[in-house]
Order: sequence, then C-alpha cells, then structure tokens
Amino acid sequence: MGAGDFAVIGTGEVPTGNYPDRSEFEIAYEVSRMAIRDAGIDKNEIGAVLTAGHIMSNPDNDYNTEMFFGRLPEAIGANGCKVVATTISGGASSFSIRKTAEGILESGETDTVLVVHAQRFSQFSANEQAKYFSIAGSDVEWEVPYGMTYNSLAAIVTQGYMAYMGATIEQVAAVCVACRKWAMLQPNAMYNNKEITVEKVVNARVVSWPLTTLMCNVLGDGGSAYIMTTAEKARKVCDKPVYVLGEASEYSHRTITRSKQKDPGKMGEDLAVTARLAYDRSNLGPEDMDIFEIYGSYPVISLIVMDALDIPDERTSGELVLAGETSPGGKYPVSTNGEALSFGHTGTGVGFSTFVESVRQLQGRAGAAQVEGAKFLVENCGGGAFMDCHFTLMGSEVPQ
Amino acid sequence: MAGEKIDIEAIKAMLNLTDEDLVKPLPIPTKWSQPFWDASKQHKLVLKKCSKCGFIDHPPYLYCTNCQEDEHEWVEASGRATLAAYAINTFGVPFPFWVDLPYVVAMIDLPEGPRMISNIVECDQEKLENGMELEVVFDDVNDDITLPKWRPVDESKRG
Repeated sequence: MGAGDFAVIGTGEVPTGNYPDRSEFEIAYEVSRMAIRDAGIDKNEIGAVLTAGHIMSNPDNDYNTEMFFGRLPEAIGANGCKVVATTISGGASSFSIRKTAEGILESGETDTVLVVHAQRFSQFSANEQAKYFSIAGSDVEWEVPYGMTYNSLAAIVTQGYMAYMGATIEQVAAVCVACRKWAMLQPNAMYNNKEITVEKVVNARVVSWPLTTLMCNVLGDGGSAYIMTTAEKARKVCDKPVYVLGEASEYSHRTITRSKQKDPGKMGEDLAVTARLAYDRSNLGPEDMDIFEIYGSYPVISLIVMDALDIPDERTSGELVLAGETSPGGKYPVSTNGEALSFGHTGTGVGFSTFVESVRQLQGRAGAAQVEGAKFLVENCGGGAFMDCHFTLMGSEVPQ
Repeated sequence: MAGEKIDIEAIKAMLNLTDEDLVKPLPIPTKWSQPFWDASKQHKLVLKKCSKCGFIDHPPYLYCTNCQEDEHEWVEASGRATLAAYAINTFGVPFPFWVDLPYVVAMIDLPEGPRMISNIVECDQEKLENGMELEVVFDDVNDDITLPKWRPVDESKRG
C-alpha cells in the first residue's frame, strides 16, 4: 500500500454531551445516514460496515453484540454489504478500525466502507462510571488495591513530566485553555459556551495532585461516522477527498510500570521515532503541517505528543501552548475540536471525532474552527494506560 | 492540597451506598502471582526471576517475558526503592478509598530492576521528592492479603 491509496469522502457526527434518551443505536443509525449523504453515494454502494466496540455495555440489549451480529447494515438498508466487523483497542480504536477498513479495501472485495462509532455513558450512574474508569486504566491486581485511578495515572505522568522537563503547571493548564478555545468554535462540542483561563484551571479543585478537575476529561455521549474508499473511486465521486498519506505506530505496555521508556521526561523522545517514520512515509515533514490533531485525553499527553511531533519552533511545547500558538489564530493549531478535554470523552470515540474533524478541516468545511487553507495535517491517537501511539498524515492532495 | 474532612457516613446516605460499595478491592492472585502474595503475608518482598536468562518480571506472568521459559525462582528483594513520580489523590476516587484521602499513589523503582505502583505511607506529603529513598512496609489488610507499601528512609520526611 502506498501513500494516498485510500481516502475519506464523507463524515457525520452528533453533538457530544449528556443525552440519556438518545440510544447508541440511534446515534449509529443517524451518523451512518449523515456520512452517506455527506459523501453523496448510494447506501447500496457500501460493501463493508465496521463499528467500533463501545464500552460499558447494557447486558439487556448489548450494542456490541448487535453490531457484530450485523444489526447496522440491516437498520440502515445497506443492501450491498458483504462484510461486518467490530474493532476495538480503547482510545486507539479509531486507528485500528481504519487499518481494518484499509485492509478490506486492499482486498478488492469492495471499494466503499462505512465506519461508525457510538457511545452512551449517561445510561449508567456516576458510581458505575467511576468504578469502570478506576479499573479500566489500572491493573486490578497490582494497582487498583492501592487506590490508583485513571486520573492518578495521568497525575503521576504529569508530575514526572514537569519534574524531568521543567514544565510548569501553568503550561499544563494552558493546554486545557487552548482546547476550550477550539471547542467554543465547535457546535458539537460538550463544552462550547464558557471560556476558561489558566488561573481558573490551576485554581480549580484538586482531584489528583497536580491535576485539578479542569485538567481531567469528562465522559459524554456521542458518535461519528465516515465513508472510506479507494483513492481511485474518491477522485471520481468526491470534489474534496481527504487522503491518508502515511502512518506509523508503536505499542509500549499495559501497565504503566512496564512502559518501554522509564523516564517520564523522555516519552516524547521515544514517540518522536514513530512520528518521524509517519512523516517520512508521507514524504512530508513537521514544517509542512497546517494542523496537529492530537488526542491528548489529559493535557500532559498533549505536551508529550507535541514534543514527539517536532514542531519547527525553538520554544518548548509548554511555552508554545502558554503563548497561545496552539490556540485559534496561533501558528501551530493543535486539536481543533478541543478533543477529550473540551469536546468530551466518548469512550472509544475521541479518536473518531479527532479523525472526523481532520477530514472536515482538510475539506475546508470546519466552520468557525476552520484553519485557513489547511492542506496537510498529522492526526494522532492512543489508548489504554497510554499503551500505544499512532500517527497518521492526511492531506487534501497527495504530495509527489 | 490540604485534605478536606470527609464525612463518609453523610456521603453514604446521600448517594444511597451500601456497605458493599465501601469494600476496598483486593488483589485476586493468579496461578503465577500467588507466591508473591504468599511471601508478602510473611512480610517478605519477592520477585520472579527467570532461571534461564535471569530476567525479573513484575508484574509476573505465566512464563518469562524475555525468553518465554518456564523455570524460575522467587528471589527476595532488598526492600529498598526510589521514588520515580507520584500523585496525591484528594478527590474523585472510588468510594472505598475516600476514608484515606489525601493519599499518595506513586511509581517506584526497585534497584532489582522492576517498577511498581504503590502507596507512600508514613510520610510528610509536602516533603516528597522524586529520587528519594524508600523502604518497604507491610500492610496486613486481612488474613489473606498483605499489601507491600513504602515509606521514606529519611525519618525527617516521615509524617
């Protein structure tokens, strides 16, 4: 497979937030139709329907089972469907499902794949959600008995990163402020009507020192979808296809204590090797990037991934963010939908919303958040207890 | 990060929690980790060392993650460690841990190689520092489970 062999031709997305009456099935059906209409194709052209596994299932009507038993093609009337599959790798699901889509396209069985994510957390109580997420990010035998939580995990990495890199808590807070500024421009974001400041983020209630409530992402219901095709078909049926130009991946660990890089100050250096591979495979470099679509989940991860992406500036990632360079109007736009911190954390869906936003930006259809003339960007995601990292270069054209 | 006084009875009533909701999760040993917890009960910190290649696995797995061989021995660790990085939980933890707030969750490095997540106890939380020396202490949670935890070696940093 070469650079630019696959393209996205349409997307769909519903607002993120608390919508207890909107089931994950409704979300999946809605975003599917939106993506099909946006792509301007006939529903019967779809030859494969891929769904992201969602988390915290309702045992009485399990969405995951329904999806991998083929509910979706039937419900949306995709009569030409040949293949259904569910793919999940936590926060990295958006990447692994896209690789699945690319594999199906490469096989030649079909030239059109529908990819869908849907999640509804609000059917579960706060206690149930807290319980799930206290265990999901941590090892039940070796960490959970010590009162470890997802927030503690991010807090430990933040404390280590600040100590080893000399980053300040204001720089960490500035990531949250930048995300909020972007989310203010996004109609589908969970938090899009109230600005925050560095001072407010730093002085918010401490959850797991050094993290405050405003440095922790919040769960929300949401979903999105897109249509992926071969580049050949994309050029025929779509005015503004968005091409996948190159990718690179790395897996490190399940439990944070076994991460390949032991020094919390050097995680960015490790990921830089992977990021460079993605750039090289795309015949592009950091200086060509119009946007850095990072899935941070916690502000420190955004800083680490920025370190890895080698943004062409002498200032550190923290300095760039604090100076507003990653915010709307800045030199290096980062996470233009506000990602998990302000767009909302939709379980396995944060990467999907980041990817769908990437497509909108490169199609010039990102509304108020549009980065003028965006042509190339790098998109990133990762999952688990910061288990892995994936970089994808995308463009509105294929560089020669 | 001064601890707020937690009234667990009030929270229990407000959120309609049962006693079961306040039971702390404990390790459920696996076939390959049981010796660790057996030793811990005897107040010994042990690590799984491969007899073929000498690699120490923690957490342990079914076979050596370096060479995939089965043969191994459980070696006693020095009981010393250094603090790599830490967090102080002050809010928003699972209910069974509310009584402990604020508490320290830390990533610690053993001189034998492995890294662990544990609590730093008997410490002045304001005096924690990355790189500081720690020593193991054992918390006998019940008749079956003893959790190894850590405290500062330097007595002036204890709380």
